[in-house]
Amino acid sequence: MLLVVGVCALVLCAALSLALGSRSILLSTVVDALTGAAHGGDADVVTGLRVPRTLIGLAVGAALGVAGAVAQGVTRNPLASPVTLGINAGASLAVVAAIYALDLSRPAEYVWFAFAGAAVAAVAAYTMSRRGGDLDPVRLALGGTVLTVVLTSWASALMLASHRTLDEARFWLAGSIAGRHLDTLTPVLPFLVLGLIAAFAISPALNALALGDETAQSLGVPVARIRLVGGLAVVLLAGSAVAVSGPVAFIGLAAPHLVRTLLGNDHRWLLPGCLIAGPLLLLAADVLGRLVVQPSEIEVGIVTAFLGAPLLAVLARKVAK
Amino acid sequence: MGAIARHRARTAAWSLLAVGLLVLLTGIALGTGQVSISAWDALRALFGQGEPGDVLVVQQFRAPRVVSALIAGAGLAMAGSMLQRLFRNPLAAPDTIGITGGASFGAVLMLATGASQQLIPLAAVGGGLLAALLLGGFAWRSKMAVTRLVLVGLAVQQGLAAAVNLMVVRFPAELASSAMQWTTGSLYGRNWTEVWIGGTAITLTAGALLLCQRRVAVLDLGDDSAGGLGLNPARDRLWLLLLTITLASLAAALTGPVAFVALAVPHLVRLLAGPPTPGTLGLTALTGAVLLLSADLLVLHVIPVHGLPVGAVTATLGAPWLLVLMIRQGRLPQRSS
Repeated sequence: MLLVVGVCALVLCAALSLALGSRSILLSTVVDALTGAAHGGDADVVTGLRVPRTLIGLAVGAALGVAGAVAQGVTRNPLASPVTLGINAGASLAVVAAIYALDLSRPAEYVWFAFAGAAVAAVAAYTMSRRGGDLDPVRLALGGTVLTVVLTSWASALMLASHRTLDEARFWLAGSIAGRHLDTLTPVLPFLVLGLIAAFAISPALNALALGDETAQSLGVPVARIRLVGGLAVVLLAGSAVAVSGPVAFIGLAAPHLVRTLLGNDHRWLLPGCLIAGPLLLLAADVLGRLVVQPSEIEVGIVTAFLGAPLLAVLARKVAK
Repeated sequence: MGAIARHRARTAAWSLLAVGLLVLLTGIALGTGQVSISAWDALRALFGQGEPGDVLVVQQFRAPRVVSALIAGAGLAMAGSMLQRLFRNPLAAPDTIGITGGASFGAVLMLATGASQQLIPLAAVGGGLLAALLLGGFAWRSKMAVTRLVLVGLAVQQGLAAAVNLMVVRFPAELASSAMQWTTGSLYGRNWTEVWIGGTAITLTAGALLLCQRRVAVLDLGDDSAGGLGLNPARDRLWLLLLTITLASLAAALTGPVAFVALAVPHLVRLLAGPPTPGTLGLTALTGAVLLLSADLLVLHVIPVHGLPVGAVTATLGAPWLLVLMIRQGRLPQRSS
């Protein structure tokens, strides 16, 4: 039932994303443009700019939402997310380095670097916080932060070394789905789908993992293998998302928590829930960013960071009772 | 010799060594560059003695940078040491609880408005206090659990970083570059005006903190004992905290939030001289100054990358350190109250 409501809300959000912006377009015109009944003017804005933007928003939001849920499940840590694990920073540094060294200028070319960076950072953050015993929520968050500080300062150093890199990268680093063509999405789409499949495949095992490693093991769950697959899924999903939109903070953190309060802790519901909640949050933030400073707009990554920081604070308060 | 006397002797010995190192490094830093001057001549030139050309180069171009490094390093280290004592947690630092993030925000906001440079320290302090306020609002309970504080600090840091990011995206390229340099922590292009304003403010705040050291020592005994000795622990802690935050923000205003100096130095001092006492704060300041100046020397003369911000170096060197601390703290029983 709630899933149905969620889907309806998502459709509404997508419609708003098609209709609202620096130029507001009537929903009837949007429909006409989509069905091919109208051409020119507003219709071209819809099909040329807003449809790709909305589709990319849907994909990125879904990837981030599910990545967050899997990250939290695998690490058994409610604060885990692509940001707190340093994955965003890793992907960002890799992309900045690629722009600096290889003169890249199209997001479709960044993709592979974003993947690699995300993977390395994820492994590093995970190993760091595992040393010396259990995965401790504070330690994981701190480890991710340490990593983020280091990687970010290296990225800044590269951007300071070359004006061209700074100009190219600073817009990408803010996190945005504006002005992207669908050909940014197509190269990563297979990886995104693969990540989703991996995530959904281990969702029952994540429930067992929530009971603790030993219990899970005694239930016949291959804990190490599940962690590996989960980690891969997170890297694939978060990596593709960052590659397409730049680092968009907090969707991966917020979506699972939102869904958990509505649907409970069962991962078989949590993951589909995040598949809806992620894009919902992302598109809502994107539309908000278009409306607050008209006729200009605020990048979606900045909007989510502003809205997400208080959320992280509240969660932190809860975790550290 | 008693334990206290031994501790004092060790502190004094290390302090002496740090002063010696400081003079040596200052000489090297003032002497090296496009024009090479011997360390001794450079130190003399600092006080106006020797070749007029040397005096010009040293006094006008190199000295502001070196002095900034010394003052900011000392200020950050002292602030870190005070935070760790006030919170009784080895992971507390202006970086980890979001204070320097606030200071960056304030300073970049000033850059954005194009206001004069003299206002930047003030704006940084304002930003630091704003971060402290947010932190307090979200994390405050009658007893400050550090876990919560650190996690909320991360959140505050993230939110303020987003604000800075917004400005960086909106700025024209020139301004974006200087904002970027600023938020990473850099010593490029410091001038005497900045050094005088920042230096005076930092010295005053640091002096006030030094005067409070006996009070801090009593607070170290625990809130109950401190209350029994006639202090009001909650109020004193708050005032000391405000002073410390001001100090950290001022230091960050001079150089940007140079990563991990505030966190690492107090630990280094504890290794060298033992647990903190009123006397070790001076050693902490000296060590911070030595560390930041050495890092800047690395940036200028050893690493062959032009324009590298010093914060990138301290982050790289400081991160493993913080990781070791985290691992060690994981083995100890939680020390937070």
